[in-house]
Amino acid sequence: MRRIVVPLLLGIIFLTLQTTLLTSLPIQRIRPDIVLILILYLSLFYPPISGGILALFMGFLMDLFSGNVFGLYTLSRPLIFYVAQFFKGGIYLESFTSQFLFVFIFDLVEGLLILLFLNALNPGPIGHLYPLLFTFLLPQSFFTGLITPTLFFLIRKVSFSLFSHHEMGVMERGDRL
Amino acid sequence: MRIRSLFLFRRYTIPAFIIILLLSTLIVMSLRVKQRKGVDFFDALLMEFCAPFQKVSTFVIKSIRGVFQEYLFLVHLQKENVMLKQRIAELQKENHQMKEMALANERLQKLLQFREKISPSMVAAEVIGQDPSSWFKSVTINKGEKDGVRKGMAVISSEGVIGQILKTAPHYSTVLLITDYNSAIDSVIQRTRAKAIMEGKGENRCQLKYLLRTEEVIVGDIVVTSGLSGNFPKGLMVGEVRKVDKKGHGVFQYAELVPSVDLTKLEEVLVITGSSPLQEGKEKKGKKTPVNPVRRKGGALTPHPQ
Repeated sequence: MRRIVVPLLLGIIFLTLQTTLLTSLPIQRIRPDIVLILILYLSLFYPPISGGILALFMGFLMDLFSGNVFGLYTLSRPLIFYVAQFFKGGIYLESFTSQFLFVFIFDLVEGLLILLFLNALNPGPIGHLYPLLFTFLLPQSFFTGLITPTLFFLIRKVSFSLFSHHEMGVMERGDRL
Repeated sequence: MRIRSLFLFRRYTIPAFIIILLLSTLIVMSLRVKQRKGVDFFDALLMEFCAPFQKVSTFVIKSIRGVFQEYLFLVHLQKENVMLKQRIAELQKENHQMKEMALANERLQKLLQFREKISPSMVAAEVIGQDPSSWFKSVTINKGEKDGVRKGMAVISSEGVIGQILKTAPHYSTVLLITDYNSAIDSVIQRTRAKAIMEGKGENRCQLKYLLRTEEVIVGDIVVTSGLSGNFPKGLMVGEVRKVDKKGHGVFQYAELVPSVDLTKLEEVLVITGSSPLQEGKEKKGKKTPVNPVRRKGGALTPHPQ
C-alpha cells in the first residue's frame, strides 16, 4: 500500500509546487515539468501495471487543474511512461548527461504529441501554437532536463529511507531490474 | 492445456493491460469532451482533495514574499510614495469628471427610455494556483459552486477581463484565461465600434479575428467587450491593439492585442454571478416558468414582478 500511496502523494506535492511555487518565480518560459520527471523516474523503477495507473492518475490531475478541455495529459502521460519503460533496458542512466538527455527528449516528444492531438482534435487550424515549440517547449524541456539529476537523487533518497528494498516499487512476476 | 493457457495468460497480461489502460484514457477524453455528469463529479471530488494543497502552498509563498517586500526591500519607498500620491490626485480629478459624465449619460438614457442596466452581482476570489502546463492558460480560484459560481461565468478584475469559468467544484473553480487558444470573446473596438472575436494566442497575447477589412483599426486602439454573448457585460476593458495585419487578400483583417490585465500576476479576481437583462431574458426563454398575473388599474393583466 505504501508503495502506491507514497508516489501518489509525491505526485500531488509536485503538482502543487508546479502550479504555485514554480509559477510565482520569474521563469515563465523555463518552468520545468517536475511531474513528468517523477513519471519518468517511476518508469525506470516501477512495474508496468501499478506504474501505468500512477502515470494515468497524475496525467488526470494535470488535466484537472489545466485549461485543457480534452484531457490530453491523461493519455500522454501513461503513453510516455510505457515508451520510457520500453527503452529503459537499453539506456545507461547513471550519469548526469544521460539523465538530462533522457528527460529532455521525452519532454520534447510529449510536447510534440500534445501539439499533434490539438491539431487533430480542433476543428480550426492552430498555427499560432507552432512558435510555442521554440519559445516554450525547447527552453522548458532544457530546464526540465537540467534539474532531473537533482530530483532523481532526491526521489531516490526518499525511496531509500521509506522502503526496505532500494527500488521503490513492487516486483511483479516476470519483471526484472 | 490448463498450464498452457495459464502461461499464455501470464505472458500477455501486461500488454493487454497497457492496451486497456490507453483505451480507457481515450474513453475518459471522450466523456470529458461530452461533459458527462459522472466525469464532472469525479473531477470535482479530486479538485476538492487537491486544491487545499495549492491553497496552503500559495499562502506560504505569499507570506514569505510579503516579508521580503514589506520589510526587507524598502528601497526607493519615499520616492514611490510621492509619485503615487500625485497619481492618486490626478485619478481623483479624472474620476470626478467621469462621474459627471456618467450622471449625464444616465439622465439621457432615462430620457430616451432605455432599459436600466442592472449592475451585476459579483463574488471576489483569490487565485490559488496556475496552469501546470505551458500549452494552456488557466488559474484555479478558491470559490466554487457553493459560492454561486457556475460554468461560463465571466471573471474580471478592476483592470479588465480575465476569462471565464471552465470547471467547478463545490469550493474551487478553474478559470480559462483570455490568452488560452480555446478562449473566444465577442469584442468591439472602442473608438470605431467595429466588431470582432478576440481569441487567445497562447502567450500573453490575444488576436482579433473576423474584423472586416473595411473597418478602421490602428495600433493603440482600445478593445472592449460587446456584451452580445450575455456572460460578459458590455464595455469591459479587454486590451490594447499592438499590431495590425491586413494580409494581402481576404474579407477580414487581423490584429494582435495585449490584455489590459497582467495575467501572469493575478492574485484576486471577481466572478460575475449576477446577469444582465439580456442574459436574464435568454434564461427565462429557456425555462418557460409560469408567472402569476397581477391585475392593474384599468383591468389590464401584467406579469407579477419577480
